[in-house]
Amino acid sequence: MTLQFEILIIAMFVSASCAVLGSFLILRTMAMMSDAISHSVLLGIVLAFFIVSSLSSPLLIVGAGLSGLLTVVLVDVVNKKKFIKKDASIGLVFPLLFSIAIIIISKYAGNVHLDIDSVLLGELAFAPFNRFVLDGTDIGPKSLYVMITLFILNSFFIAFFYKELKITTFDKSLSSTLGFRPNFLNLFLMGMVSITCVAAFDVVGSILVIAYMIIPPATAYLLTEKLSYMIVLSVVVGILSSIAGFVLANIINANIAGSISVVCGLFFLIALFLAPENGIISNFRDRVRKKWQFSESLLLVHLSNHEGQPDYDDESRIDHLNQHMLWDMRFGEKVVNLALKNGNLLVSGQNLVLTEKGREYANEIKKDTV
Amino acid sequence: MDEKYTLEITDLTVAYDNKPVLWDIDLNIPEGVLMAIVGPNGAGKTTLIKAIQGLVPTAAGRVLVSGKKYSENRGLVGYVPQRGSVDWDFPTSVVDVVKMGTYGTLGWFKRPGKKEENMALEALEKVGMLDFRDRQISKLSGGQQQRVFLARALVQNAEIYLMDEPFQGVDATTEKAIITILKDLRSQGKTLVVVHHDLQTVREYFDSVALLNVRIVASGKVENVFTTENLQATYGGRVKFLDQDLSQNAV
Amino acid sequence: MILHELIFDYTLRNVALGSAMLGIVSGFLGTIVVLKKQSLLGDAMSHAALPGIALAFIVFGTKNISVLLLGAGITAFIATGLIYLTTKNSKIKFDSSLAIWLSTFFGLGLVLLTIIQRYPNAQQAGLDKFLFGQAAALTQSDVTTMFILGAVSISVVILFWKEIKILIFDPGFGTSLGLKLRFMETVVIALIIVAILIGLQTVGVVLMSSMLIAPAVAARQWTDRLSTMVMLSAFFGIIAGICGSVFSSKIAKMPTGPAIIVSISFIVLISVLFSHKYGLITQYFIERRSNRNIKLNRILEGLLNLSVNHKNPYHPHSINVLRFMGYSPAAIRSGLENLSQKGLVLHHGEEEWALTEAGYKEVENNIKNLVQ
Repeated sequence: MTLQFEILIIAMFVSASCAVLGSFLILRTMAMMSDAISHSVLLGIVLAFFIVSSLSSPLLIVGAGLSGLLTVVLVDVVNKKKFIKKDASIGLVFPLLFSIAIIIISKYAGNVHLDIDSVLLGELAFAPFNRFVLDGTDIGPKSLYVMITLFILNSFFIAFFYKELKITTFDKSLSSTLGFRPNFLNLFLMGMVSITCVAAFDVVGSILVIAYMIIPPATAYLLTEKLSYMIVLSVVVGILSSIAGFVLANIINANIAGSISVVCGLFFLIALFLAPENGIISNFRDRVRKKWQFSESLLLVHLSNHEGQPDYDDESRIDHLNQHMLWDMRFGEKVVNLALKNGNLLVSGQNLVLTEKGREYANEIKKDTV
Repeated sequence: MDEKYTLEITDLTVAYDNKPVLWDIDLNIPEGVLMAIVGPNGAGKTTLIKAIQGLVPTAAGRVLVSGKKYSENRGLVGYVPQRGSVDWDFPTSVVDVVKMGTYGTLGWFKRPGKKEENMALEALEKVGMLDFRDRQISKLSGGQQQRVFLARALVQNAEIYLMDEPFQGVDATTEKAIITILKDLRSQGKTLVVVHHDLQTVREYFDSVALLNVRIVASGKVENVFTTENLQATYGGRVKFLDQDLSQNAV
Repeated sequence: MILHELIFDYTLRNVALGSAMLGIVSGFLGTIVVLKKQSLLGDAMSHAALPGIALAFIVFGTKNISVLLLGAGITAFIATGLIYLTTKNSKIKFDSSLAIWLSTFFGLGLVLLTIIQRYPNAQQAGLDKFLFGQAAALTQSDVTTMFILGAVSISVVILFWKEIKILIFDPGFGTSLGLKLRFMETVVIALIIVAILIGLQTVGVVLMSSMLIAPAVAARQWTDRLSTMVMLSAFFGIIAGICGSVFSSKIAKMPTGPAIIVSISFIVLISVLFSHKYGLITQYFIERRSNRNIKLNRILEGLLNLSVNHKNPYHPHSINVLRFMGYSPAAIRSGLENLSQKGLVLHHGEEEWALTEAGYKEVENNIKNLVQ
C-alpha cells in the first residue's frame, strides 16, 4: 500500500463510521448536539492526556466518552432552568467546555503534539506515519485499525438496537410505555457519538466531524424514504465523498479533511436540487404542472357551484374570471384553454359552459374534498 | 332585499403542497353579526382566518372588506390569534402586549406614547385585567392570557374582529366574560367571526354560524343552519353522539 | 519607561474599547436571537465567516480588516441563505441544516487557509487569529471599524424597536397589522452578521456564537422587560469582553476568545444561581421562608381552633395537642418560640401556649386573606 492509498482508506472508514450514526441524529433533531459533543470531547481528551501523558492511551477514549456524556447531561440540566430553551442550552454548554480545553492546551501543552491547529484540522496527511507494529512487523497505519474497529462497533450498535432506536426516534412516549428505555438508549447513542468523535478527531479535527456525521445522512434522507436504505445510502455517500474529496485535495494541494467536507456539502446541494422525487427542481416542475391542473379544477368547480344559480350568467363570463378567481387575464385565458383542450368546457358566447365530462370531473373533486 | 356584507369572501382556495385545505370558499358575512366558524379538526378553520388576512398564500379567491380589497382596508380588521401561537415566556408586561395592537397605525419608527397607553388601559379595564397591567405575561393563567389577547384586539378599534379559538382552554369565568364582551361589541355594530370548537354553546353564544369542512357546508342564521343534518354533513358520522342534545335544543 | 507604558496603555485601551463594543452589540442582537429561538444560527453564521476572510485575502491580497470583514459578511450571508433554502424546500429540519452548512463552510475555510499557507507572505497573513480571536492585536483602526459597525447596528435596532419586538413575539399578528416583517427578518439577519463580524477579531469564529447567547440568557434571569434585558445583556457582554481581553493580555499564552467565553459563562452561572427573581439559590430561600410562614400560620390557626371549645381565643394549650397537624413536637416548639418572639403567642409554663391579642388579629387576617 502506498502512503496516499492508506490515507484514502482511512478517510473512507472515518466517513463510514460517522455516517452510520448520523441518520438517527438527524431524525431525532439532534444534529447540533453532535456539534456540541464533537467540541466538548476535546476537554476529555486533554484531561485524560494530562493523566497518562500519552496520546495513544485507551484512557483518552474513556475521557472523551465521559465528557461527551457530560455534555448531554449538562445540556439537559441547563435546559431545565426557567427561560433557557434547548438550543440556547446547547450553545451555552459546549463553548464553555471547548474554551476550557483550548485554554489548557495553549497554557500547558505547547510542547507536545496536541496543538490548536491539529485540534481544528486534524492530521489526516500524517495519519499513516503512526504505524501498528506487531512482533516487529509493520502491518499498517494505526488509525486504519482504529477506524475499522470503530466502523464495526458502530454498525453493530445500529444493527443490534435497530428496532429500539427506530421506535424511540419516532414515538418516544409510546416506546417508553412499551418498555423500551428511550433515555438509556439516547445516552448510549450519544456515547457512541462521543467515541466516534474522539477517534475521528485525531484524523479530521474536531469541527469537521460534524460534516461527516450529518451531511451524508442528510443527503441520503433526501433520496430515500426508508430508514434502512437511508443508513446504507448515507455510508455510500460518505465513502464517495471521501474519494472525491481526496482527489480534490490532491488537485488543489489543500487540506484533505476540509476538502472532503466541502465535497459532502456539494453532494448535499446537488441532491437538494436534483433529487428525483423531492428535489427543488422536480418540486418546481411538479408545482407548475399541478398549478395548471389545480387551476383548471378550480375553474370547473367554480362553474359547477354556480350552475343553475341565478348568478350563473355573471359568474361564468370569461371577462369576469379575473375578478372572481383573482387571476390576471392572461393566466385565466391559459386555464380556459387548458380546460377546452381537455374537453371539460365549451364556450357559448361570452360564457363558459361545462361539458358532461367537466361536470362529472367537478363533482368528483367536490366529493373528494369532504 | 340586498343585505350589506361587511366581509365578502369569494372562491377562496388555499392549498398546502397542492392538497386543498380550503376549497372554493364563498362566504358573505353581514354587518353586525356574531358568527361562529365550526367544523372538525383539520377543516381549515384557522387557515380561513389567516387566509382572509393574507397570512397564508392563497391559490385563488378574493376577500373584500367593506367593499374594498383587504390590503386597502386592513385597518378595519382586528385579529385575535390562538393563544398557543406565541411564547408567553417573552419578557414583557401585560400592558405592553396590549399596546402592540396600536403598532399598525403608528407607522415606521414611532413608539407608542401616552395616548396608546391610555387606550391599552381602557381595553384592559373592559376585559377586567386592569389590576394585572404590569404583570409579567409568563405569570398569567390561560384565561388571563386570552383576555390580554382580546384587549390587544380591542385597541385596534376595528369594525371586524377575527378570533381564533378564544374559548380554548379558558376557565368558566373568563368564558362568560369574553362572551359578554363579544355581545357588547356586536351591539356597537361590530362584526365578529369566531372560530369555535364547542358545539354545545353555539346556540347560546352566536347568532350566525358557518359550518366548514374544507368547503363551506352551510352558513347563515344559527336557527336556519345549525341543524343535525348540516352538522352530519360537516362532521360525518362523528357528530352522532351529539344528536340528542342538539335536537333537544332545536328551536 | 513612559514610552513603554504609553504603548502598553494603547494596547489595553484598544482591547477594552473593542471588547466593550463587542459586548454591547452582541448583547443587543443576542437578545433577539435567543428570544427567537435561533440561538445556534449565530454558530453557523460565524463558522461560515471563515472562508469569506480567506477568500477576501486571496482575491484582494490585502490584510485590510474592512476588506476581510466584507468577505466574511458575504459568505455568512450566503450560508444563512442556504440554511433557509434547505429548510424551506426539503424535509431537512433547521438544526440539521445548521450543521450541514456550518461544517461545509468551515471545511471550505480550512481548505482555503491551507492554500494561503503556501503563499510567500503567509506569515504576515495572520488569519489564524480569527479562529480564537486575538484582542491584543487590535489596532486603533480596527477599533474604529468596530465602532462604526456597532453604532450602525445599534441605531437600527433602536429605530425598528417595535417592529423587532413584534417580530419576535407574534409575527402573525404583526403581519396582520400591515407591518413589513419579512423585510425586518432580513434586517435582523444582516444585523446578527454585523455582530459576528465585530466579534471575529476578539472572540474568533469558533466561539462567537456563545457571545451572542450567554449575555442574553444571563440577562433574562434578572428582568422581565425586553428593554431592560437588552441593556443588561449589553452590560454583561461588556464586562465579559473586558475581563476576557484583560486576562488574555495579562496572562501569558491565554487565548482571548476562550477567556471571554469563560468569563461570560461565569456571569451566566451567577445569574442562574443568584438572580433576585429566578435564581435557584434565591428561590430556595424564598421557598423555605414561605414554608416557614405557612407553618407558623398553621400553628396560630391550630391554637385558635382548639380554643373554640373554650369560648376564649386566648386559652392556653399544650404542645402535645398541637401535634395533630403533623409537625414534630420539636418543630412546633421552635415555631412557637419564633411566634412568641414576634409577640403573637405567650408561654404559660408547663409547655402550654396561648394566642396573644396581636396573634388573634393576625390569624383572623390570615383567614380573611385565604377566603379572598
